[in-house]
Amino acid sequence: MQWMVWTLPTALVFIGLALLLCGMAIWGHFSPPVARRGFLRIETDRGDRLYIGLISAAVVLAGWIAVTDLSMWLALACALLVTIVIGIWG
Amino acid sequence: MAGEQVAVARRARRQLPWARAVFWLYAATLMLPLLWMFGMSIRPNEDILGSFSLIPQRTTLDNYRTFFTDPVWYSSYLNSIIYTSMNAVMSLIVALPAAYAFSRFRFAGDKHLFFWLLTNRMAPPAVFLLPFFQIYQSVGLFDTHLGVAIAHMLFNVPLAVWILEGFMSGIPREIDETAAIDGYSLPRFFLRIFLPMIRSAVGVTLFFCFMFSWVELLIARTITSVNAKPIAATMTRTVSAAGVDWGLLATAGVLTIIPGAIVIWFVRNYVAKGFALGRV
Amino acid sequence: MTEQSVTVAGSPVGGEIVTAAAPQDGTPDTRASVKPKNNRAWFLVLPVVVSVAFTAVIPLMTVVNFSVQDIFSPDDRIFVGLEWFRSVSRDPEIRAAFVRTLLFSAQVLLLEIPLGVALAVAMPRRGIWVSAALVIVALPLLIPWNVVGTIWQIFARADIGLGGWTINNVLGIDFNYTLDSTDAWITVLIMDVWHWTPLVALLAYAGLRSIPDPYFQAAQIDGASAWATFRHIQLPRLRGVLTIAILLRFMDSFMIYTEPFVVTGGGPGNATSFLSILLSKIAVGQFDLGPAGAFSLLYFLVVQIVSYVFFTVLTRAGR
Repeated sequence: MQWMVWTLPTALVFIGLALLLCGMAIWGHFSPPVARRGFLRIETDRGDRLYIGLISAAVVLAGWIAVTDLSMWLALACALLVTIVIGIWG
Repeated sequence: MAGEQVAVARRARRQLPWARAVFWLYAATLMLPLLWMFGMSIRPNEDILGSFSLIPQRTTLDNYRTFFTDPVWYSSYLNSIIYTSMNAVMSLIVALPAAYAFSRFRFAGDKHLFFWLLTNRMAPPAVFLLPFFQIYQSVGLFDTHLGVAIAHMLFNVPLAVWILEGFMSGIPREIDETAAIDGYSLPRFFLRIFLPMIRSAVGVTLFFCFMFSWVELLIARTITSVNAKPIAATMTRTVSAAGVDWGLLATAGVLTIIPGAIVIWFVRNYVAKGFALGRV
Repeated sequence: MTEQSVTVAGSPVGGEIVTAAAPQDGTPDTRASVKPKNNRAWFLVLPVVVSVAFTAVIPLMTVVNFSVQDIFSPDDRIFVGLEWFRSVSRDPEIRAAFVRTLLFSAQVLLLEIPLGVALAVAMPRRGIWVSAALVIVALPLLIPWNVVGTIWQIFARADIGLGGWTINNVLGIDFNYTLDSTDAWITVLIMDVWHWTPLVALLAYAGLRSIPDPYFQAAQIDGASAWATFRHIQLPRLRGVLTIAILLRFMDSFMIYTEPFVVTGGGPGNATSFLSILLSKIAVGQFDLGPAGAFSLLYFLVVQIVSYVFFTVLTRAGR
């Protein structure tokens, strides 16, 4: 595994993602996801919204870093906000 | 009545008179570059570079002779055929049960898993080059046919699942249920009844797996050096200090088309019958 | 199948006849009814997940690790945070290549999808010529990509290639793809059309073949013109196959590497240096793991987004 050149932050990100997926699976087991329409105008269930939310968060982060020198923590906050908004009302 | 209907349908499907002509014109244009390459492969090198001429003035089979007597050339040709065939079979074996699961059951995360599989088809191969080199070296698959076959599963397995799922969804579930009542176990039902029903899907899938594995160069070149070197990588050898050996390059090009042509010939009816069942 | 029958029934060509003919269709769709829920199906999917995890997830994780470090050797590396993402996303050369690649993909889709459908419509459907037509059309697909590049490298050359020679000496247009950037772009574009239109044509052809005869009878009885038949009967039935065609063509044209690399090597200047050519230069040529990793991830993100949008729009539109 030496060649995978792990670092602590990336390891934490992947563990976080894995936990998130497990959490979604367990949640889905106890209360099956329901598809509905939100402000995205397409039918989504919570898994779809999580995917769209994460991708949007990545876009926010990438766009931020491409245009401004402001702190990335601020970008992270925006990205989280976007994910939550899409997750709840999307 | 039935005959009359067929006649009506025939007439309805009859195409515009010029459509057929346009099609064959396109087919002819499509063949031009290929014929040109073939023409170069049977010409001596001086003639190729010397002057432009529509019809080869002198023909020679020297290039083909070189190809079939130089072990570097013909062995890399065999390498490509070996790993491509392995990949097609392995992709199919892995994809069949998964496609069946996707077409027959709902399970936790099925839709997302399906799209996730497709996203791997989207990953630019260049992304994977560096880690591939290291992974295959560390597990001892570097420069083996098996290694290349496994690496190409990256893009072939998702495609195979996608195509097979489409075909399988076109087959009514009642067949499964009837078989279960008749006492067939799932594996026996799958092999005896289901698989023969989706023969054409298997044909189309094998065609696409073969095709994408055969034409891929970047990954195959990265994780091989000598023993499993693909023909496409060997072709870069023709560029030397003395310039490009166009004749030999064209010869190798012509010969790489042949396996593909054979594969198409075998699956032509399946492709024609279509993917158009189910999702696809 | 239901929604497709509805589409046809709603169109001006003979609704009743088409609806009556629907059962002859022969392709019932299990997805219409509700599939049983069974989580043990995961065992059937497991081989795929394992094989794809090995070929995709582990490499992707490694690329993520690359992207946040400055790596000199596996033991000698520094964590640099998001620095590579910053430099890559602001690199004017990469931005230019991004625009160029998007433009190329757009042109490829605009040319290949209509041409492929037109070819499929014009292709012979009965008789002995069907096999010959299929094999000829499919041939370019089975040629290794670098051979495709080689073919066009030769064919388009002004001195020894039929194509380039004809343009220069018969049409009298000055054409040289090694010197002129417009000529290089056109050469790569035509090569891609030559190479990949057959895929669209084959998919569309398969889609057309699956349309049952009664649909055409209905059109015939209503005296629909050839264009109306195409627009209201053939085109709606092609949505499924065209989804696949558009997705595959977008993904592959956005990631195009081997063919232009062989023909032009990205030049002249950087007229045809697409994203993947630039990426390979950084990753394999200069062995800059960090920037290459960051570049790869941004690239992957773009492909993901566009593909997801296409996928969603094409599969959910009209439902």
